[in-house]
Amino acid sequence: MTHTLHRRGSAESLADDFVVFAIAAQGFNAEGAAKKFEKFFDIVKKYNPNNFGDMRTGNSLVAGEDVIRKSFKDNSIVHAVFNDEDTVTKVLKELKEADLGLSIVVSGLVHKTDECCKKVGLEMHTVEKSLGIIGNTPRLPDESILEVTTMCGHGMIAFNLVKKLADDVKKGRTSPNKAAKEIAKQCVCGVVNIPRVERLIKAMAS
Amino acid sequence: MRVNEELCIGCGSCVPYCPMGCINLDGKAQIDLDECVECGVCFRSKVCPVDAIYEGELDELRLFRKTFSDPWIVHPSTNVPGRGTEEMKTNEVTGRFKRGYTGIAIELGRPGTGTRFYDVEKIAKACAAFGVEFEPQNPVTAIMSDKKTGKIDERFMNEKTLSAIVEFTAPNDKVVDILKSVKEASKELSTVASLEVCCRREPDGSLPMEELAKKAGFTPSLNGKVNVGLGRPLAKEE
Repeated sequence: MTHTLHRRGSAESLADDFVVFAIAAQGFNAEGAAKKFEKFFDIVKKYNPNNFGDMRTGNSLVAGEDVIRKSFKDNSIVHAVFNDEDTVTKVLKELKEADLGLSIVVSGLVHKTDECCKKVGLEMHTVEKSLGIIGNTPRLPDESILEVTTMCGHGMIAFNLVKKLADDVKKGRTSPNKAAKEIAKQCVCGVVNIPRVERLIKAMAS
Repeated sequence: MRVNEELCIGCGSCVPYCPMGCINLDGKAQIDLDECVECGVCFRSKVCPVDAIYEGELDELRLFRKTFSDPWIVHPSTNVPGRGTEEMKTNEVTGRFKRGYTGIAIELGRPGTGTRFYDVEKIAKACAAFGVEFEPQNPVTAIMSDKKTGKIDERFMNEKTLSAIVEFTAPNDKVVDILKSVKEASKELSTVASLEVCCRREPDGSLPMEELAKKAGFTPSLNGKVNVGLGRPLAKEE
């Protein structure tokens, strides 16, 4: 449901983490939406997202841009990941002007997203927030690992993979960038923020 | 998921990739099928140097696990990939969450622990006691044998999936008590759950869910998801 919602971290850690995505409502406006996703994709790609993908096709690292572009379906959910609010503002401005009729959702710090909306004459319509993790929490690993794994809301990134790659970086067997990309590959939707993972892995390894 | 033992060379490369931690190395890789949720990460990662990992034939219950765990799969009950529900993402079009109401979702098994459906039922029953109407366009609601009580179909009770979402909308005057009840019920879980709320933005810019969550003893996150209202046609306000 909430594949980009429960990202963990301090305000400082989340400051460079925004996901913009498009979705159509099944039974309302989904018929013919595939063509609109193409236009959405053209717009977000102009602003050099650090990762992108379509839930029906895959992410930038595995499926690649060309396959994603050719494969949109009426029930696609198309994502792009950005590192700063200025870029998000520009993307929203262009999406507003394009008037695609698709639902557009931004994941990120809510007060920053609100500012982005106001700058381009949009208003937040509906907002969703996490209230955290409940239940048998002793089963969870360290917060540093959760900050990485919760970037994939579908749970495709194993705790053990993050531990192993951080260890590999520490021992010089791989680089933080390669480790971040290996982690991002597991997330089908392409919503993992690759530079943020790289930063977090580097900190874990130091 | 399965491992072809004739091909497996016992290198262990696949072990850290399993989100459920259910690949064991005993000379060769072995997948604990009771713990495996059929998410497919071990296969899709292409980490096996000899292509020994394969899906095999899935019976009804293995397919059930896969439908809830593999985001490639479109839920037949909702036509939505992933966890099978659009929730607030399309709210300006569907009008699912109206002013005066709060959307509440409890995602069992997230992050990273997975869930059995007896745990899903514990939370669903705690919420059903408040007379909530579970979201009809949600795959968990689709497998409730009694939607008034939150009872899950017996066939699925011991099945494990990567996560499953109990989802409903409640009038704001019930939200504090429901959230407190969910927190209490969560003490009986063998797994974890991620809890979330959503609401319409009020004309003055406020988000009523935030005060309600605080009254229930929760701290709403600084980050979140914002539907910016560009979908068309807009749902009619009531």
